[in-house]
Amino acid sequence: MQLLDRTFDVSTAPVSGASLSAEAIRRVEQFLFHEARLLDERRFAEWLALWTEDGRYWVPRFHDQANPFEQISLFWEDKMLREVRVRRVENARNWSQQPLTRSAHLVGNITIEGLDAAGHLIVRSTLQLTEWRIDQRQLAGAVFHKLAATEDGSWKIVLKRVNLVNCDDVFANLEVFI
Amino acid sequence: MTLSNEALAALVRADSVHKRVYTDPEIFALEMERIYGQAWIYVGHESQVKKTGDYHTTRIGDQDVIMVRAADGKVHVVYNRCPHKGAKVVADGDGCTGKFFRCPYHAWTFKLDGSHLSLPLKNGLEGTCYDPANPDFSMKAVARVDSYRGFVFASQSAEGPDLKTFLGGVASSIDNLCERSPVGEVEVAGGTFRVMQKSNWKVFYENLHDTMHARVTHESSFVAAREEAAALGEMPFELLIMDGNGEPYEFWEKLELRAYHNGHGYMEGIFDPTAATRDPVSRDHFAVLTEAYGEDKARQILGMNRHNTIIYGSGSPHTVFQQFRVIRPVSVDRTMIEIQTFRLKGAPDAVFDRALTYANLINSPSSNVMPDDVEVYKRCQEGNQTHGGDWVSLHRYLGTDQETPDGMVSTNGTSELPMRNQFAAWKQYMLNPAPTRQRQAQEKEADRATA
Repeated sequence: MQLLDRTFDVSTAPVSGASLSAEAIRRVEQFLFHEARLLDERRFAEWLALWTEDGRYWVPRFHDQANPFEQISLFWEDKMLREVRVRRVENARNWSQQPLTRSAHLVGNITIEGLDAAGHLIVRSTLQLTEWRIDQRQLAGAVFHKLAATEDGSWKIVLKRVNLVNCDDVFANLEVFI
Repeated sequence: MTLSNEALAALVRADSVHKRVYTDPEIFALEMERIYGQAWIYVGHESQVKKTGDYHTTRIGDQDVIMVRAADGKVHVVYNRCPHKGAKVVADGDGCTGKFFRCPYHAWTFKLDGSHLSLPLKNGLEGTCYDPANPDFSMKAVARVDSYRGFVFASQSAEGPDLKTFLGGVASSIDNLCERSPVGEVEVAGGTFRVMQKSNWKVFYENLHDTMHARVTHESSFVAAREEAAALGEMPFELLIMDGNGEPYEFWEKLELRAYHNGHGYMEGIFDPTAATRDPVSRDHFAVLTEAYGEDKARQILGMNRHNTIIYGSGSPHTVFQQFRVIRPVSVDRTMIEIQTFRLKGAPDAVFDRALTYANLINSPSSNVMPDDVEVYKRCQEGNQTHGGDWVSLHRYLGTDQETPDGMVSTNGTSELPMRNQFAAWKQYMLNPAPTRQRQAQEKEADRATA
């Protein structure tokens, strides 16, 4: 099963260090801010384009969850599933998006962690997310991005892992990406 | 002032129910007493308490209870209350309490069946009625506990049918879930999701066999799945399970709906199980079952195709998804759904992988299908608070359902038989309070009168 492809490296612990110039770090930060902004502005098509072909979006259900292959996850989505989610929330008859979910991501505490086995850059940040749809909801946690460098000097997302502080909570529906 | 039986009976007609049954907190309180206080309610699966001292907390209606494994291997269900000051003895969740319970307030201790063990400085109780054998000093056990193939149920009433009789025709759904394992056993695995709905618990039960809503409510998700499949040039199973809701009305009309006593039932499956033998995971699964049971029986097990079995009051096991959606009423307008996923012991790993994928995609908080359901339930809850009319319609195919020895069967798959059957059970419970509970209620009334 492709979705549960166990060869996918979900580890966010660096295997080697990364030394980036101040300017390069700034560019990484800007990339993270941009990614969050696309979600806040519901520019989903542009957001989908930020990912590598086999990139994975992961929100574990457990604290310190080792992988998404043995236990359930709040989200474990490949390209196809990310696209389906976008198609659904953008469908005119999405009763549960009337009114739309509005969000404000606050991304901070960005640190460059190092490189993974494949040489992807591991970046950690802290997220404060306010979501509103009839009720206001606060979500927060640590986010790990694994980024692949592109030829034009930018990045593509290989993995985005969101460790929610309340991953084991009772949830109302999670309709849009965190 | 409790609602009279006449008033309660008048709320349920053959073809409709009064909206009050969804919105009135007083009725909710009565349901907790008369339905959740009498029926057998699913507490959890034995695999959630594997070793001595392992416990799992949950609720039976409005009652906090603990399911715990004792040293003799027996599973007990006790109320989560210390008889001293009333503190909950264990925190909500799962854990291991060791050889005994110990209240965090004054260190009163209890054996794993809840019976009194000890307390500090017993001298202070000399000359009182204190006695470890006096039940006033023990954690109270729920009146009846029984288990069916590892599924633990409890009833707060000492009287009533036994568990097997209560389950009737839906026991076969639990059998089928277990038989999908070559050793006939399942275990809760991979974790559980908990999802909150802002609606009355009965709305969810009614929706489980509501075949008329799928194409309408779920348009956004089946259209999304079909668009995605068209873009990909194939329909992988992750999309197929979203696509099913988009079947034309003729498809739903042909389905069979089964209704049993006590509000239970099941709906014929909406995914083609023979498609299963075409994919490698199902082929391997079939091979393992053939080895265990023989080919005919294996075919019969995997061929039993039921969607959303209903065990009224407990929730909905789903044999193909290997799930049990446990439905916990929280208040008149709040319902918590706990989604358990099962591993089939001895089945190929890939079968559990598929169950995990179902769990992540179908009923999880991030499901692409459920939000539209939850939204319409909420709209029912809110709409039924208006003065725009009093009755909720259950007219579809009224009078066309066929009697069977153990219940009813639809002649048309869009019949509202399941809802009518649920309300028949609802009425049965609500008009016939269990003697024990009734006595308690009367005593409470008397206490209040003398207070």
